[in-house]
This record gives sequence, structure tokens and C-alpha cells, in this order.
Amino acid sequence: MSTFQINSGRLLEITLAKEKVLALAGCMVAYVGSMKFEKAILGGEGLLGALKRKVTGEGMSLMTVTGDGTLYCAHEAAQLAVIPLAGDKLHVESSGLLALDAGLKTDTKFVGLHGAVSGKGLFTTTIEGQGSVAVMARGELIALAVTPATPLCVDPQAFVGYKGQIQQEFVFDVNWRTMIGQGSGESYQLKFTGQGVVFIQGAERD
Amino acid sequence: MTQTVFTPATLPKNDNINRYAYSVAVDNHILIRKGKMIAYYGNLRFERLGSTVLDILVSNAFNSPLSINDFICVAGQGQLIIGDLGNDISGYDLDNANLTIRATHLLGFQPTLLCQESVVPGFLTLLGTGRMLASSNGPVHFVEPPCFADEQALLGWADCPCPAFRYDHNYIRGYASAVGSFTGFTLSGEEKQVDFSGKGTVLVQSSEAQLAGQGGLLSSLLAQLSGLEKDELSTLASMATGLAGKRR
Amino acid sequence: MPQFTQVNERMLAVTLAGEAVYTKRGSMVCYTGKVLFERSFLTGGNVQELGMRAVTGEGLVMMKSHGAGTVHYAHLGQFVTIVALDNEMLYAESESLLAFDSRLQAGTMFIGNQGLQQMVRGAVSGQGLFTTTVQGRGELALLSDGPAIALQVTPERPVCVDPDAYVGHKGNLSSSFVTDVNWKTFIGQTSGETYQVRFSGQGTVYIQASER
Repeated sequence: MSTFQINSGRLLEITLAKEKVLALAGCMVAYVGSMKFEKAILGGEGLLGALKRKVTGEGMSLMTVTGDGTLYCAHEAAQLAVIPLAGDKLHVESSGLLALDAGLKTDTKFVGLHGAVSGKGLFTTTIEGQGSVAVMARGELIALAVTPATPLCVDPQAFVGYKGQIQQEFVFDVNWRTMIGQGSGESYQLKFTGQGVVFIQGAERD
Repeated sequence: MTQTVFTPATLPKNDNINRYAYSVAVDNHILIRKGKMIAYYGNLRFERLGSTVLDILVSNAFNSPLSINDFICVAGQGQLIIGDLGNDISGYDLDNANLTIRATHLLGFQPTLLCQESVVPGFLTLLGTGRMLASSNGPVHFVEPPCFADEQALLGWADCPCPAFRYDHNYIRGYASAVGSFTGFTLSGEEKQVDFSGKGTVLVQSSEAQLAGQGGLLSSLLAQLSGLEKDELSTLASMATGLAGKRR
Repeated sequence: MPQFTQVNERMLAVTLAGEAVYTKRGSMVCYTGKVLFERSFLTGGNVQELGMRAVTGEGLVMMKSHGAGTVHYAHLGQFVTIVALDNEMLYAESESLLAFDSRLQAGTMFIGNQGLQQMVRGAVSGQGLFTTTVQGRGELALLSDGPAIALQVTPERPVCVDPDAYVGHKGNLSSSFVTDVNWKTFIGQTSGETYQVRFSGQGTVYIQASER
């Protein structure tokens, strides 16, 4: 299995031994050894369709990289984090994905936005199996526990993903809207209840 | 790679979680800049400043009409996580002290502090006893006066007297330089510096990416525009247009 | 000898005792002591170099700081990396140079005569066909978007780099352009680049964690 490591907080180092990974196209900054890059053909339009930059709506695409050596990936000097999976299931905000082991099973759903006019919905990708997932986490990844007694509210721009038995709901809170001063136009919060872990980042996603 | 999972009980109380995120233990009122909330546990209410319940609170704590709309009052009980676009965040405890900070970098403060506009445009001064939160472009570096700082790299200062601007007059020495100063050819870019003296601490950071073409002088002027009356603004506009036409 | 110190990831401090250091224009953050700042026409080169610079548009216009005191330098939140040269030559894009000891020799190098691929690089990426060289013995500081990572290149292990992530290199390296159809053709990103730079030999390549 390939190893995912973070170098200096913002560079992902993937060591491959004739293995395959899926990565955001254009995120490669360097490599050592022999690597083959191909357009990723995934089952269905799910993940590919979901990869739109939230703000610009610009499409992003995925590549499959197979090879022997070390691959260096990065994206706009954003801090990165590796979330290892050991048979469990991770839900991530699709546009935050950077790279993942090709052997992991993915499924993407349009979570949607109740009554939203923007047309830019939230996509969540579920990933399960054994392997590593690398996500962008500007301002470093923070993991927060959710328990039945302690639900958590999160700014949608900061949401990265979650693991466990968690229910995600949209809360349209007029007061929350008053907190928005960044022109993002987001006027809702995400509320998480149940039992599990929620991952957030300390800054907005592009 | 093991990730620490925080619970409301284990989150730092009024301290950094990491360089870029700060956890506030809310049990009363705190003023926070809009848009900096990342996540929270507990029962928190977010209220716009100026609503009747908070009038007394606000008039005591906030004396800066330019900035008042950028802040919200958070009340209740819970843990609030603050983040600012990946900038470093630091908490400063003032004990009957003062700290002046670049307005855009003030993220929050307790209403026991008084927040006023500094005479230096674009900066806010906080006075009294209480905690404040500020962000910076990379880690903050502290320097003691006497020293000179670049306007764009200046984050703030504490305790020392209000600084003055200092002009490096090298640019007018010598024939080549004199001609050059009109065309901008010989300028090093460091002609105007901020001069600090006295006892205190100066806070500096790596410079901000400015809007294209917006130098220090322009930023200062723009910051003062809101203080002008309607006909004053018209006078300014016609003068500026006239000058712009004359420049090549 | 000017002393270079890394204050934090985005800030450099140089202590001068009557010496001079060339730095990026406008990068002074603060200073103590008595230091003068001047725009520098020549950075250790000769008149021919100046002419070259005008032609190349490489724009190596630096600021010269000299005097006695400590000066802090930074630039737009970019990360700073100090590199010590020991009678070597470093190649870097001029925009990535924050500061260098005035005893080092700076120059521009024309790299556009190594074949058609070089011309393509210049035309497509908009970067010049020239790069800046700094050589001698002394310290310099590089700027990068996010931390600069040094990758060792050995004869058995050549390194392929995305040109937009390249910051600089030093040592006995030869570079060639590799046009790899698969690399980026299907991206539709604005750069439209479809090549990598392969470095082989013995030396160090500095990359940043983002594309310019």
C-alpha cells in the first residue's frame, strides 16, 4: 500500500511501489522515479461531476498515477492533512479532496441545499476501505468529537468531513447570517448530531 | 498519523488550538469580527451590535463607527472556534494597558476593553483590562524601539507613544537622484518609514498583498474618505480627476 | 560578513556591520540602527550586464541596504529559505530572490539557446528565456509560496519538476524539458503547459508547494 506523508505541512509525499493513486489533476509539483499519468475513469459521473470549485464553479479533474518512486503533490500552498482509513467510512466535502489510494471505494452524492438558489450544492463523497486520503485543510485540520450530549455547529466553508454515526443538517439561522462578512453568501450553518468525529479546517475553501 | 479529537471539555479554554485556530470559552459576552467563526459547541447567541439589549454594552466598549458593523456580540455558554483564512492567531491579555492594531487584524475582544480609532488611519486602539484576539500574516515578530518600520509590514504597537512618519532624504541628494525622484527611477521603495521611540513593543509581520496599485499613501487617504461630507467628496473627486489628467 | 538569520518562516533578519546586502525592493519590514536604502543599478555585474538586463527584461532591480544595524525583510507573506553558497552557483527566478550578500556575484543567464523546447517554455509560460544566477561564497534568501522544499538530485535519481513549482537549483545539474502528453493535457487549466523539467546530475532543486 502506498504511504502518504506530509512534508512541511503543505506538500504531500506519496511513495508508490507499482501502486496506483487518484489525485487532483495539476496538483503534482515533482516526482522521482517512473510515473504514468492517466485521466481517471471512474464508475459514473459522481465524483468527477462533483469536483467543481465552490466559488468559481470551475471544473476540476482527477488523474490516476501509477508508478514506482515518490510523488510530490500540493495545491496553492494550502495546508494538507492525511486521514487514514482502516475499514471505516469517511464522508468528505468533495472539493477538498487532494489524493486517495486507488483501492478505496468512493461514492458521491449531491447533498443539496434546501431551497438554495445558488445552484452550487454541497457534494459529499464517501470513501471506505483500507488506505489513506489526503485533503486540503487550510489553517490545519481540527478534529472535533460529536456526542448525543454535545452537538456541533460548523461554518460550511470550514467543513472538511466526518466519520461515524452522524446526522448532518442545515440550519438557517437568521442570526448566523449576521455573522457573515466575507461575501461568501452562505447564510446557513451545518449542525452535526450523533456520535462521531467532524473534521474542520481553520479557513475558507476556495 | 494520529489526529487529536477534541471534545468541548478538552478544547483549550481561551487559547490556541494550533497556530491558525483559537478556542474561546464563552460564558458571558464577547465581541467577535464577522465571518471568523468556524465552529461552536453549546448554546450561543449571535447578535448584531446596536440591538437594544446591547446598547449600553456597546456604547461603553466600542467607540469606532468605522468598524462597528464588522463586529458581532456573541453571548451564552459554549466553546467557539475562531479562524482567519489561515492567518496566525494570537491572544493578548491586557492588564490596564493599551495595544494598537491594524483594524483588519482585530478578530475579537472582551467588552471590558475600550476600542477606539487610532490617529493612524487603519488602526484601532484597545485600552483597559481584558483579552483581545488578533491575526497576523505569518508569526508576529516583536521589536523594541527605537526602530523604524515599513508601513505595510506594521501590525501594531503596545505602550510606546504613537509613532511618526520618517522620510529617508537620501533620495534628494545628488543630481541624478533629484531627477530620479521625480520620475520614481531612483526610489528604493523605503523612503517613508514609521518611526518608533520610547518604551514599548512594536509588532511587525510580513507585508500584506495589497490591492494592485494601492500604496500606503492611497490606503491612508481611502481610510479617511468616510469622514468627508458630500460636497467635500465632490471637491476631492474633481481635484483628483484634474491631477490624473495632468500626469502622464 | 552580513549575518542572515531566519526570524520565522516568513521573515529574514540581516545584521550589517558596515557591509551591504542586496534585497528585493520594498521588502524592508523594520530596522534598528543606521541603515540606508538605495535603489541599485548594478548588482555586482558590469555595464554589459546592465545592458543584458534591459534586453532580457529579467528585471533584477534590487535595493541595496548598507550601514550598521539589523534589518528585517519579508515579502507578501511568502516563505523565506536561507541558502548558503560555498563557491557554487545558484539559479533562480529573479522574483524568488529576497536577499543576497553583496559579495556574491549576480548575473543573468540566457537559457533560450538549448533547443526548441526552451523557446516553447518562454513563449507559453510567459516566463523569460533568462534566469538569474548568484555565485560565490555567502548567504542568500529565497522566497516561495508556501515552504520551499529541497530535493536532492543524484545521478541515479533524477527529479522531474512542474515548472511552475520550480524555485531554483544549485549544483552540477543539467535540465531538460520533458513533454509528457499525459501530464496536463486534459486539465483545461489556464496554464496550458504540457511539460516537466527533468534535473539530472548532482545537486539540489528547490520547489514550492504551489503553482505560480
